[in-house]
Amino acid sequence: MSAPKIRLDCVSKSFGGSVVAVEKLSLDIRDGEFLAIVGPSGCGKTTVLNMLAGLEPLTSGTMTLNGKPIEGPGAERGVMFQDYALFPWRTVRGNVEFGLVYGPAGQGLSPAERTERVERTIEMVGLKGSHEKYPHQLSGGMRQRVALARLMASEPEILLMDEPLAALDAQTRVILQDELLRIWGQDRPATERRTVVFITHAIDEAVFLADRVAVLSSHPGRLKQIIDIDLPRPRGDATRRSGDFARLCQSIWELIREEAYRATMN
Amino acid sequence: MKHMALRLAVPLLLLAGWQLLASGSAQAPRPTTVAEAAIAMLRDGDLLAGLATSLGRVFAGFAIAACVAIPLGIAMGSMPTVERNLDPLVETFRPIAALAILPLVILWLGSGSGAAIAIVAYAAFFPILINTISGVKRIEPSLMRAALTMGLTPLTRMRVVLLPAALPSILVGMRIGLGIAWTAIIAAELAVGAKSGSSGGIGQMMFVFYAYSIDLNGMVVCMIAVGIVAFALDRALRWALAITVPWSRI
Ligand SMILES: Nc1ncnc2c1ncn2[C@@H]1O[C@H](COP(=O)(O)OP(=O)(O)OP(=O)(O)O)[C@@H](O)[C@H]1O
Ligand SMILES: [Mg+2]
Repeated sequence: MSAPKIRLDCVSKSFGGSVVAVEKLSLDIRDGEFLAIVGPSGCGKTTVLNMLAGLEPLTSGTMTLNGKPIEGPGAERGVMFQDYALFPWRTVRGNVEFGLVYGPAGQGLSPAERTERVERTIEMVGLKGSHEKYPHQLSGGMRQRVALARLMASEPEILLMDEPLAALDAQTRVILQDELLRIWGQDRPATERRTVVFITHAIDEAVFLADRVAVLSSHPGRLKQIIDIDLPRPRGDATRRSGDFARLCQSIWELIREEAYRATMN
Repeated sequence: MKHMALRLAVPLLLLAGWQLLASGSAQAPRPTTVAEAAIAMLRDGDLLAGLATSLGRVFAGFAIAACVAIPLGIAMGSMPTVERNLDPLVETFRPIAALAILPLVILWLGSGSGAAIAIVAYAAFFPILINTISGVKRIEPSLMRAALTMGLTPLTRMRVVLLPAALPSILVGMRIGLGIAWTAIIAAELAVGAKSGSSGGIGQMMFVFYAYSIDLNGMVVCMIAVGIVAFALDRALRWALAITVPWSRI
């Protein structure tokens, strides 16, 4: 097997000395892999993502990307934030094109190509006709789709996504799950896929999308187990209806049920 | 229609009350005598010339204040070291009213436009600075993080994230600053009005009415004109704000 794309080795993170958010987390993320992370609220998922993004220093341990330590943010790692982090002074279009206009992601694109990609992405997330609206004029679900489109438009090599579909209705969510798999490259050979780290609360979503699901336990955040999802690709509606799918969901649910209760009761 | 009538009712009542109260004394200015004076002053152009002089000074001083306060505020808001070093200085000068530095300014710059502009710049400087600093400091951290993950260079980040994020607050500071600047210019012109060689402005006009011609009607006309200009300035700036920052509710 090839060397991992991203390697977390005994990574710990505490805030202010007392709050241990993540403890001794070791995890290899393969090139072209779709990794989902599930776990109860407050178990440190966002913290892990922020460290992968290079936005939070580690307290101890090492984290490498292509063998080199992660020392800060980089445009090859696109992030979709749990709170969306949309620029309130920019319209839907202005937000979606942001990375292409001001970051390295747009280098080598002609203005026409850029416009075309922005339009296509906005259409993909179902926001056609809302181009000129400001974030404060959008519903929560629409804002989430703008954030998704902003990440997608930059086409980063690695996508770090924090509950990207949580605010959406069931139908839109299914559509965007399929779309996400297409962008990730499920129709392409494994060597041509992007790498995705996808945080979610929805177990069925994790199972449907991912190659592997990492289950975290809370207080402190530790890796409880990694489950291989060997459902055949490409996946679609047939996958969602299959017995294997239901069985996998069930077994993961049993893994984290006890965790979830513990986290809720505390 | 009904709204208009209601809005007019209060000023009209006040005017009527004023007329009634003042009719007892021969010298007291009354709405009718003030109106006559206003028409005369408008006709010979003195009033508008005075206002224009004062406004010119306000805009000049205000522009200077903004050009210094905004970059300084951004530096202080985004760089803790800069803030630590400059904050004591700012907080020492801030409580000193613009008029309190007038004697010094007159000694240095004389009693002409230079002094007036300096006073205005000083008065407008602090609200713009303080609001710029707080605007920069209150930026949602996740917005900066988003820009970081998209690989923006520090200079681009400042231009396309920090500045627009702080803009509503900067504009509020400018609005407050302009109001204070207008107040300060009148006071400054009043105060230098007695000096020989001082030149024009609505404040000086008031001083002349007070000290030489003892024309109460003229003084009241000036006061009303000052109020109307202040109101117009504020409305204009509010309108400019709504146009410049349509995303912000201020
Ligand atoms: N900046 C911070 N300062 C102090 N404590 C923090 C900070 N950020 C996170 N924490 C703590 O770290 C723990 C993990 O937080 P994190 O946001 O990673 O959880 P999460 O798994 O993403 O939760 P959720 O599913 O609710 O989004 C929590 O106990 C939280 O209170
Ligand atoms: Mg989270």
